[in-house]
Amino acid sequence: MIPEIQSFNLPVLSLVVLTPLLCSLLLCFADRNNKALIRQIALMGSFLTLLFSLLMVGNFDSSIGTMQLEEQHNWIESLGISYHLGVDGISVLLVLLTCFTMPFVLLSTWSSITDRVKEFHIAILLLQTGMVGAFVALDLILFYLFYEAMLIPMYLIIGIWGGKERIYAALKFFIFTMVGSLFMFLAILYLYHHTGTFDLPVLLERLRTTNPLDSGQQFWLFLAFTISFAIKVPLFPLHTWLPDAHVQAPTAGSVVLAGVLLKMGTYGILRFAIPLFPEAAFDLQSTMCWLSIIGIVFGACMALVQNDIKKLIAYSSVSHLGFVVLACFIPNLESLTGAILQMVNHGLSTGMLFLMIGIIYERRHTRELADYGGICKVVPLFSIFFLIAVLSSIGLPGLNGFVGEFLLLYGVFNSVPLWGFLASSGVVLGALYMLNMVKKFLFGPIVHEQNRSISDLNTRELIYLIPFVVMMVWLGLYPAPFIKLVQPTLTLYVEMLQN
Amino acid sequence: MELTISRAEILAILPAAILFLTGLMQLFVDLGKSSSDTRSEKTHLAMIGITGILLGFSALFIQGIGASAGVLYAGAMTDDLFGRMGAGVIMAAALFCTLMAGGYLASSGNNKAEFHSLVCFSAGAMVLLCQATNLVSIFVAIETLSLAVYVLAGYFKNHQSGSEGAFKYFVLGAFSSGFLLLGMAFIYGLSGGALALTDIASSNAQSDPLFAVGILMILIGFAFKIGAVPFHSWVPDVYQAAPALSVGWMAVAVKAASFFALCRFLLFVDGGQILTQILSAIAIVTMLLGNLAALNQQSLKRMMAYSGIAHSGYLLIPLVLATAGGGASVGASIPFYMFAYAATTLAAFGVISAISVATDRDDVNDLNGLARNRPLLAIGLTIALISLAGIPLTAGFIGKLMIFRDAVQGGYLLLALVGIIGSLISIYYYLRPVVAMWFKEPKDSFELIPASWGVQFSVVVCGFATIALGLFPGWLVDLSKQSVRAILG
Repeated sequence: MIPEIQSFNLPVLSLVVLTPLLCSLLLCFADRNNKALIRQIALMGSFLTLLFSLLMVGNFDSSIGTMQLEEQHNWIESLGISYHLGVDGISVLLVLLTCFTMPFVLLSTWSSITDRVKEFHIAILLLQTGMVGAFVALDLILFYLFYEAMLIPMYLIIGIWGGKERIYAALKFFIFTMVGSLFMFLAILYLYHHTGTFDLPVLLERLRTTNPLDSGQQFWLFLAFTISFAIKVPLFPLHTWLPDAHVQAPTAGSVVLAGVLLKMGTYGILRFAIPLFPEAAFDLQSTMCWLSIIGIVFGACMALVQNDIKKLIAYSSVSHLGFVVLACFIPNLESLTGAILQMVNHGLSTGMLFLMIGIIYERRHTRELADYGGICKVVPLFSIFFLIAVLSSIGLPGLNGFVGEFLLLYGVFNSVPLWGFLASSGVVLGALYMLNMVKKFLFGPIVHEQNRSISDLNTRELIYLIPFVVMMVWLGLYPAPFIKLVQPTLTLYVEMLQN
Repeated sequence: MELTISRAEILAILPAAILFLTGLMQLFVDLGKSSSDTRSEKTHLAMIGITGILLGFSALFIQGIGASAGVLYAGAMTDDLFGRMGAGVIMAAALFCTLMAGGYLASSGNNKAEFHSLVCFSAGAMVLLCQATNLVSIFVAIETLSLAVYVLAGYFKNHQSGSEGAFKYFVLGAFSSGFLLLGMAFIYGLSGGALALTDIASSNAQSDPLFAVGILMILIGFAFKIGAVPFHSWVPDVYQAAPALSVGWMAVAVKAASFFALCRFLLFVDGGQILTQILSAIAIVTMLLGNLAALNQQSLKRMMAYSGIAHSGYLLIPLVLATAGGGASVGASIPFYMFAYAATTLAAFGVISAISVATDRDDVNDLNGLARNRPLLAIGLTIALISLAGIPLTAGFIGKLMIFRDAVQGGYLLLALVGIIGSLISIYYYLRPVVAMWFKEPKDSFELIPASWGVQFSVVVCGFATIALGLFPGWLVDLSKQSVRAILG
């Protein structure tokens, strides 16, 4: 798909991680009144990061399943912490998704964020460094640093630029996440005590050979890691922070939150919780799966009765990510491939939905479904794009959602038909609440006179929406290159778990 | 006894001596000035102070770090890396206090040389305390620093609450000194007249149950200074009543010096199992109570007081491990943590002093909209609070990482767990000022909060140091490890 560029010997991962950071440092010295310049610098920075991430994919050898493009430097030697980055099939698409989303998110804020522009761009670029860093970190403490480093910018983004209840939502978001991650921190320290290393590959090796954990230790450590990630996902019943955070966050915050931040949880489960503690994961498999299934159905039912569009999408995220967690705990190639594709698909479709709600909110300043209706005649272009995003979210064949969902459910059915059956009900419910929303939102008669004068998408909005549509169609019609990137790693992963 | 003083002995006392001389000089320079002059910034006092402190600081580097000078002044003090690290923390704190003092005191109309010189005097005593290796020198150093700090606490004579707080501090402090002295008497008697810590360590009195009582009494004396539960009740009251900058100085330097001395003391004596248990109980209660009581404080100073109590609790963990026979390596977190704590706490109190000058209060709501008003101060305070909460990429995180890691490795999972829960609770109250600064708008008309260049500079430097230590802590961690190893030689 992308020409192989092996000739460079650049530290590609570091470039991807550090470019946003350097860009945000650069912004610190920018004149705060020159908003256009600040926006342009940030946009350039994020495009540069996207380029570097494409370079990363170019250098990524999709025929091998192990860690690639590794970089390891001593960092805090006396504490045993190293700067160890690497990427494999599990993380490569997620890094790409993050870097793909960011420039368009930035573009979308040009009209919506007008106050404290400088601080906003610094925060969101720092957030990007945290997200990408967490996906590629191979040292537990380094991972924890990036994982936590996402927290403060996101907290500020919700708290400063959010809606009416923003302070409550920001605090709830922060405290929920922090509760989980501090216990994970303790678990990381315990692992260090047990094996003497923070380095993930070494740690995995030692746990398998020289320093195995007994089942009690595995249980508690698994719990500490999984709770932290389950809060991030969010898995039922730890999801209560999500609707608040989503509704109160500014559009850009919601997009990043739904598009990338939530994947941190499922990624963590796949990368850390299951491989580190496979026995505990196996013992708790049915518990986790049942929780996911409850989450799928519960999220969908909650989405059915929402009147606030953002809240509806937020609950749909609970439902969609339930599928992903379910698949993570079913160790076969199809379900895991589906899980990773679904993470990307959800990022694209939900990200785009939030962007579009942001667009309409800027024009009408309401998110209540009852305030709309019939606008498809007024804003045809907007309606087409919105419909594409909705259909992708539902999983219509030909768009991205279908491929992931199909693989995922196929894998689950093969393992435990009952779970597959129950989970499929989420697909049906998904179609129901989404189409119901579209009906109330776009179609029907125009009840409110203000809705007659809404302007349609402008060029800038088209520029940042079209890439999403392109990716959706590409992933829907020809997902092979993406699956090829993922599968060697997952094959190894499944083999490892079956031993 | 011979009265010759060796070069090593002169070098050992040089930093403290420079600090004392600086304090004296400040007093003399200000002698002839009329009392109406107290509203000016008196840059010359600050200049003398800064020069003196920097001289004292550079004296730490003479003879190369790490060279153990052995027994000095007949065993009264030593000149090892550990003592020098302590002196380093204290002088860094004194430097920033001096930088911030001029503007702060001038705007409250109380700028006299006493404040500056008392900071230097107490700093000198604290440096001695970090180096003290026998019971008498420990006691004398503690009393000298306490007397200076009592006066600093009541520096605003015309404030009734200030005098009340200082008086409370003085009475309770004297009481705790009594405990300290009684404990020392026990140990002195039981070990057959040994004063030096090395002699006490080698005496065979350690098995005597009364010996443990003696150590416990000394512990009580120190517990008062560091504000450990149940000897913490003075902290919030005194902090609230005293001038913001004095509080910053007390919170950082008194705590640092006490912890350095206590760490040295506990590494030498063996109080047995019972001491470990008592210490860990104190640590647990201190962490929990400090953090819980801070939750509902409206006054920033009271919040910082309880947060300081909580941090004393975290710092007790390495001491527990040291008494449990974890060896010197477990104490390594103390010097590092003290550096981190000093930078963050000074930044916090720098901002609080600016706020309290502007509004004559120190309510959390007074921070509303600070990010628009004084962005530099807001960024500095935010970094400080994040570091105090132990969130990564700050020095505070590395400090907590070291402490909790040692606790897990030493088998004290419970202590680590309570510490984690404590940090979790603390996030709530550390975020409240952040919310006020960044998320809320100032209440009334927009008025720039007066902040002297000294305050702004100090807050920014401390904030920067916090981040820098969070990103590149390696060298300081190594230095801390070496320094603790140097104690036992």
